[in-house]
Amino acid sequence: MMYTPVMGLEIHAELLTKTKVFCRCKNEFGGEKNTRICPRCAGLPGALPVLNKEAVSLAVRAGLTLGCRINRYSAFDRKNYFYPDLPKAYQITQFEYPICEEGSVEVLGKTVRVNRIHIEEDAGKLIHAEVGTQIDFNRCGVPLIEIVTEPDFSTADEVVAFVDEVSRRLKFADVCDCRLEQGSLRVDVNISLMPEDSETLGVRAEIKNLNSRKSIRRAIEYEIKRQTEILASGGEVERETRRFSEETGKTSSLRGKEDANDYRYFHEPDLPGIEISKAEVEEIASGMPEMPQVRYKRYIELGISPADADLILADRDFSDLFDGAVRVFKSPKTIANLMLGELSRKLNESEKKAGEIEFSAGDLAEIAKMSDSEKVSKQAAREILSVMFDNGGAPQEIANERGLFLSDDKDRVALVVAEVLAENKENVREYKNGVLKLFGYFMGEIMRRLGGSGNPKTVKEELTKQLTSIS
Amino acid sequence: MSLGDLRRMLDEKKLGAVELLDEYLKKIKDEDGEINSFITCLGDEAIASARLAQMLIDKGEAKAMTGIPYAAKDNILTKGVLTTCASRMLCEYIPPYSATVIESLEHQGAVLMGKTNLDEFAMGGSGTSSYFGATKNPKNMNKVAGGSSSGSAAAVCAGFVPVALGTDTGGSVRIPASFCGVVGLKPTYGRVSRYGLVSYASSLDQIGVIANSAEDAGYMLNVIAGQDEMDATSAKAELCDFTDTAKTNIKDLKIGVIKNLMGTQIDEEVKLAVSDAVRLYEKLGAKVIEVEIPSLEYALEAYYIIASAEAASNLARFDGVRYGYAEDDCKSYAEMIAKSRSAGFGQQVKRRILLGNYLLSDKFGADYYKRAVSAKNRLTEELREVFGRCDVLISPTAPTAAYGFDECDILKVCKGDVCTVMVNLSGLPAISIPCGVTSAGLPIGMSIIGKHFSEQKIIGVADVFEKEAGK
Repeated sequence: MMYTPVMGLEIHAELLTKTKVFCRCKNEFGGEKNTRICPRCAGLPGALPVLNKEAVSLAVRAGLTLGCRINRYSAFDRKNYFYPDLPKAYQITQFEYPICEEGSVEVLGKTVRVNRIHIEEDAGKLIHAEVGTQIDFNRCGVPLIEIVTEPDFSTADEVVAFVDEVSRRLKFADVCDCRLEQGSLRVDVNISLMPEDSETLGVRAEIKNLNSRKSIRRAIEYEIKRQTEILASGGEVERETRRFSEETGKTSSLRGKEDANDYRYFHEPDLPGIEISKAEVEEIASGMPEMPQVRYKRYIELGISPADADLILADRDFSDLFDGAVRVFKSPKTIANLMLGELSRKLNESEKKAGEIEFSAGDLAEIAKMSDSEKVSKQAAREILSVMFDNGGAPQEIANERGLFLSDDKDRVALVVAEVLAENKENVREYKNGVLKLFGYFMGEIMRRLGGSGNPKTVKEELTKQLTSIS
Repeated sequence: MSLGDLRRMLDEKKLGAVELLDEYLKKIKDEDGEINSFITCLGDEAIASARLAQMLIDKGEAKAMTGIPYAAKDNILTKGVLTTCASRMLCEYIPPYSATVIESLEHQGAVLMGKTNLDEFAMGGSGTSSYFGATKNPKNMNKVAGGSSSGSAAAVCAGFVPVALGTDTGGSVRIPASFCGVVGLKPTYGRVSRYGLVSYASSLDQIGVIANSAEDAGYMLNVIAGQDEMDATSAKAELCDFTDTAKTNIKDLKIGVIKNLMGTQIDEEVKLAVSDAVRLYEKLGAKVIEVEIPSLEYALEAYYIIASAEAASNLARFDGVRYGYAEDDCKSYAEMIAKSRSAGFGQQVKRRILLGNYLLSDKFGADYYKRAVSAKNRLTEELREVFGRCDVLISPTAPTAAYGFDECDILKVCKGDVCTVMVNLSGLPAISIPCGVTSAGLPIGMSIIGKHFSEQKIIGVADVFEKEAGK
């Protein structure tokens, strides 16, 4: 009996708002415990929530990036349960009327449907110390969106591809910085197995604590195995929440049906509903940058390879730089090579982000132009870029200062070629006897003597000519 | 003396703020032992406030409430001053912030004299369920003061304070005012900020005023009314001088008398007093219309369902972790919250919490709550229709006058809300004024109910009665 994995995701993303969702405490990461709290997010008596409008804008952006319908009206509900990290003993969320619904994302040739996106508040953080368990409320009240998909996934690859694509889009839209390891993005997987001869979904387990793409894969793999064994031996999978352990690579039961909370949802009486007009949605949409999936199509059309396109799109500022340079000088492949080669190397070395680059797209385009028109060699182009990255300056000036302009002085080339061949009579003889790889050796030596101004094409032609003429 | 009189006396230097305060403090010291209207009486702090107020008066910068003493019900947060909600749960709680209304009064230099007794967490109609003991009715010490704002009503009645703040969720300002023979005003829902009021039922709670006259109630309302950015349910309603009753024209005023509330569940003497009052208005030229409000049949039930459900959720934050009563020696989080809440809350509160959670539970699919909200909406609609034909409505405030301490069975006390809850459910404003006494000399109150945000009108109509009846 074959089973098909059927999976759906619940993804929580922390919104990049300046302040928390229902109070004015700053929305930041880290810092001294319990310093970004107030009566409202600490659940003191008498405190009331007031909605942060920025959270609504970002939630709308998220909806737009995932192709959702933005609901004209949405409302808040209380989800009631006791837990030390939940100071009001209820979480304000959107149960009945979420802000976004019915979106979809294409990954690996499949359309994954997004059921809903809703706004809710984060809980505090429990810290297990020697004295006992401590609670830090700094994170309490941070705005979250929860993205719920339909059970459209069948493989771990699809799940990871979806997480990657959603992360990319949310980062581009400045909605969330999507760091799985840090917890600004949290992925829960609901997984069940469907027997091949059936159309009904199996009982699903919810897997939590997936802090990396690797963990997501391992957890899914383990779950498929675990559920297959249960079903194959005639048992039933339990509807439960399970926690993935990175140490063991296994999932274990966190809460069963008996421990399941009765959340007693009801409409939040302290907050009016959210009303968004079509005009407001359009205004938000017009303020958004071009989305990665749209840019991707454009890059492919420009002749960039899929792998390179994804690399350029790893960071919006990087992609913006590429777009800017191509606009000035339409040579996408050269620009891409410069960016994915030398520039990426420099960024990694200096640990800078693309957004911190000081030179302009125009400057980059200039280097590409100089390279394409063979005013400088490809090697020289990389050098100019490197210097410009480190010290600033204009490409033309840098090339001048460093003597990188290729001379078309064929006489000088002929002279140096002759020089090198004269000094390497042994090697020339071997070359003529068939050791063809020595051509490269000669090239290297000649180029070295010419400094940055050797035009490889010209040198190659001259070297070939002179070698041929030697008997 | 009215609040206006006090203002004149203070401004004309006929009376000093400290002198005025001392008179009240002495009276409280002498007489409140038996009545038990205050939980906390501020001696030195109040004197300090009075001195500051005197400075403002001397500079000619006095505002309406500068130097005038007032008391606040002990479920309204006062920074640095014990706020107990008459519960063991908060018997040592000192809030780090004040309610918006308290800040508004402090800003004016009003003198907070103390925090008054109430039914625990504002749940109750008799004033007998306080952790600090029951409040007696100054008009007859063998009778209850009514609730839940028992202390505020008793304090004004006994002359301990010229005006006090109470809270009204199902009649809690109006009923004790009625029992004690003073005036109780419940503003329109949203008229006064709830920020810093320990929530009982969020969609019904309002801070109200207990005073010696309708004009005084308006005087205080002038200071505390207004939209507050810290309370998302507070309304953007036009403000006016609520004491400006000159426009009140009784001639041709259309008064609706609610048939359902003049039936067999109301004591004869109460009905008589209210009818006489209505006849007085008729003599002055008002037109009296009998109206029926069919959904009143469900009002009490709808109220108890909604209030209990919201209360259960609002009180869940009291777990002893961050503040409030906490049992020592507990071995787990669950044990700690169970034990702390069992010991910290009184019977009445526990009853409402259990009821509320039961009604919201999965068992019923929140059906009861939804139906109660439906009934609430229907009632509101019917009242809207009725106000199309009437300018104000008049009804008894309570079905009886004050009863004895041995007559407080739960059902009787709950049914005591039969006339008042519809006002909270629909969010309308209402003022209760004394309109007679029983043969036993106990005060009888009648309520004048107006359209949303028509406090000026109902105060005016009440004022006319006070002046006419006084003749």
